[in-house]
Amino acid sequence: MMRYQLHIASANHTLVSIDDFQIAPQEITVLFGESGIGKTLISQAIFGLLDPFELEISINGKPYNNYVRSKEVQKLQTYGFFVFQEPSTHLNPLMTLQEQLNEGKLAKTNRQKEILQALWRQPYETHVRPLLQIYPKPFRPSGGEKQRFLLAMAFKKLMLPANGAQRLFIFDEPTGSLDNVYRDIFLNELFNLYTRNPFTILLITHDYSMISTFEKQHTALLSRIHLKELRRINGAQVRLFDFKAEDYTGWLEAQYPAPLAKKGQPRKTVLKMEPTFRVFGKTFHLTREPDRGKTVPLIIHKKELIYLKAPSGMGKTTLAKIIAGLQQAEAVHFELSGIRFDQDAEQKVWRKYVWGKKLAMVFQHADESLNLQANVRDVFKGLPGVNLQDDVSILNALQEMFDQQLEPKFLTQKVAHLSGGQKQRLNLLRALLLHPDLIILDEPLNGLDFISIRKVLDIIRRKMASGSGILLVSHNEEIFDRIVPKQCWYYLNSEE
Amino acid sequence: MSAFFVRFQQLADSLLLRLNHLRKRTANGLLKAERSMQRLTRFPAPIYFGLWVGGLFLLWLWDVLFLNAPERHLLEIAFAHSLLIAMLVVILSFLLAWAAAYLIEIFSDRKKTAAAGVIHFCLNLIRSLPQIVGVLLGYVWITYRIQTGHISGTGSMLWMSVFLALFIFPEVVALLRERIAYFRQSDFFNAMRVSGISEWRIINYDILWKNSRLHILNKMIAVFSSAIFLQCSVDFIVSVGLSTRISAVNLPVTLGSLLANIDSKQDILAIGYSLSHPAYLPNLFFRHLQGISVALVIVFTLFSLYKITNALAERFHL
Repeated sequence: MMRYQLHIASANHTLVSIDDFQIAPQEITVLFGESGIGKTLISQAIFGLLDPFELEISINGKPYNNYVRSKEVQKLQTYGFFVFQEPSTHLNPLMTLQEQLNEGKLAKTNRQKEILQALWRQPYETHVRPLLQIYPKPFRPSGGEKQRFLLAMAFKKLMLPANGAQRLFIFDEPTGSLDNVYRDIFLNELFNLYTRNPFTILLITHDYSMISTFEKQHTALLSRIHLKELRRINGAQVRLFDFKAEDYTGWLEAQYPAPLAKKGQPRKTVLKMEPTFRVFGKTFHLTREPDRGKTVPLIIHKKELIYLKAPSGMGKTTLAKIIAGLQQAEAVHFELSGIRFDQDAEQKVWRKYVWGKKLAMVFQHADESLNLQANVRDVFKGLPGVNLQDDVSILNALQEMFDQQLEPKFLTQKVAHLSGGQKQRLNLLRALLLHPDLIILDEPLNGLDFISIRKVLDIIRRKMASGSGILLVSHNEEIFDRIVPKQCWYYLNSEE
Repeated sequence: MSAFFVRFQQLADSLLLRLNHLRKRTANGLLKAERSMQRLTRFPAPIYFGLWVGGLFLLWLWDVLFLNAPERHLLEIAFAHSLLIAMLVVILSFLLAWAAAYLIEIFSDRKKTAAAGVIHFCLNLIRSLPQIVGVLLGYVWITYRIQTGHISGTGSMLWMSVFLALFIFPEVVALLRERIAYFRQSDFFNAMRVSGISEWRIINYDILWKNSRLHILNKMIAVFSSAIFLQCSVDFIVSVGLSTRISAVNLPVTLGSLLANIDSKQDILAIGYSLSHPAYLPNLFFRHLQGISVALVIVFTLFSLYKITNALAERFHL
């Protein structure tokens, strides 16, 4: 067992501290945990990627500078690979993808085409080869393509001889930019290579639905897959816990679709949107079927959860922003709580009658939608109709979202110093404390651990029961497909 | 043969490992050296502030010992007046800038283009005039009002600050608007608006106070420097050749007007003389103290403020 005792601190405070982080050699460790808890930092420290002068790090009692110089780490880096979670930061914008795929030792593998073909569904000559000559830029190639090139690099490295050395391959959120189909292709390829010649895998992810994939498609490897979850114990102190697959699969199995209103029962409509709208020069259609069937208006009633589906980047968030009055469309017609809106509607109408009163929205990136310089208490100041006058009432409201007992000093913590999961819970709570007719939730489960996911889903259900209609955008299809009845699914399609 | 290749590859790998190790050690060494150099040459802002105050105190102590009392008293008054005017400029500039920036934001957001246009027009009008020319015109007005008996000597200091602030505050408006515009594009601005939080609170508390106060502080220190510099320049120009004691209109004595004093100018000229006659150098510190002290206070203050703003900008990545 590869065991690590780690302490990482910046000049002002401890970032993460763990007494016993374990990676099973020649096996597959899948690491879950809320965003910002320290998964990436720990794995980068183990792989020797952190700057010994920027942070104060000790690893197994040794100063990090000595650890980084040790033969053990040199070998990890020589024979292993680290796939960063953000492909744009991993790739060098001054080298073509072809050059990067053949940098250093990677050039020694002559199976590049075969690897790339396995990671693409489209023909190599028309879809992959042209990309090889590209210098990666923020928006080109797409995030998913960049991620697949990174994975191809890892696979190329895997095909090199290891000379008996320990091979550690760390995949940090390797499927963050991939849809479920490509996620499964990646897992198949990875596990095929693993089966042929086992090596050590540390797979960091938030995607609990991978567990179902392991159980359905990789049963032969189940004994070699170790599910672990990093949980906060106290402040920056974290501990590694075993995560039982049944906890997730059993919970998922027990989920049932939200009940539909009985026929003939009058329900107040909170949103009615025409089936077609136009923005950024593109025309979008709302349908009930994934591949452009008959267009239908988007109708949301009180106490109803509507699930909007579309491939990543299609424009789901744009639609949400149009309804919220934050994005002007070229052509749109909808009625929100009795107020009619079109492309010429002025923002002052939203300001005066809608924001915080008829509608609230949770943005998908908590890091960007909260004031990072504010403290926790500030997040809830100024909300209309929310009576949180004192610290006790704010703490009580927060306690619904947090599993550990919160201390009053939590309210004075700077938002920037919270973990991603904690930020996401503040982001959700700010909107869920309001009492609007419609709440738009854009990726509400982003960065949450399993316990928080369950808490958030409970709160969403309660919010629905209290009378709000909910429009949901999420890539957590496995979870929401079970919770939202099929009659409440809509698909967004576009034509140029 | 294959055993030979395996051995060769192992040797090559081991060599690469050693080279990599050496490269990292060299890089670490260079990094350490660079950081040591930084520690020796760069100080945090409070140290520069301390050096400024300490330097001025030492100069004052020297003047107590070697400058005659009436001249020293004049220097103290000039310094106090200049400091007071600069402080007033800082306060007025901020208030004017905040009002202008906030009104532009609100008018633009609510599509009240005519109202926003008026403020833009006024700002552009002020910007179109060189600062020094604008302040000189202000001084013309002040002297006229003093002559007609509407403004007293002390009141004129307030008006001097008003005119200085009027031609400096557009720089602060630019900073405030830049900060607001930056956060307007972010999700955080929209997420708060959609939650029904008022724009007054988002702009003033969340953007300007929570996210921009260091930027504003740094800018206000720069405004303080600009006020001292402009004030000295204009006072110097209007006072050249005049006696600060007997003239038709007496403006309050400031560092600039004291520097323009005939005695001070002779003291400054003595610096040039001592360059060609080094033996004369010690006299600068005893016989030419008035002019040299004034010049030193101005230059040292501007230099210290420059270092303070730079140190703040580096420390907080502004």
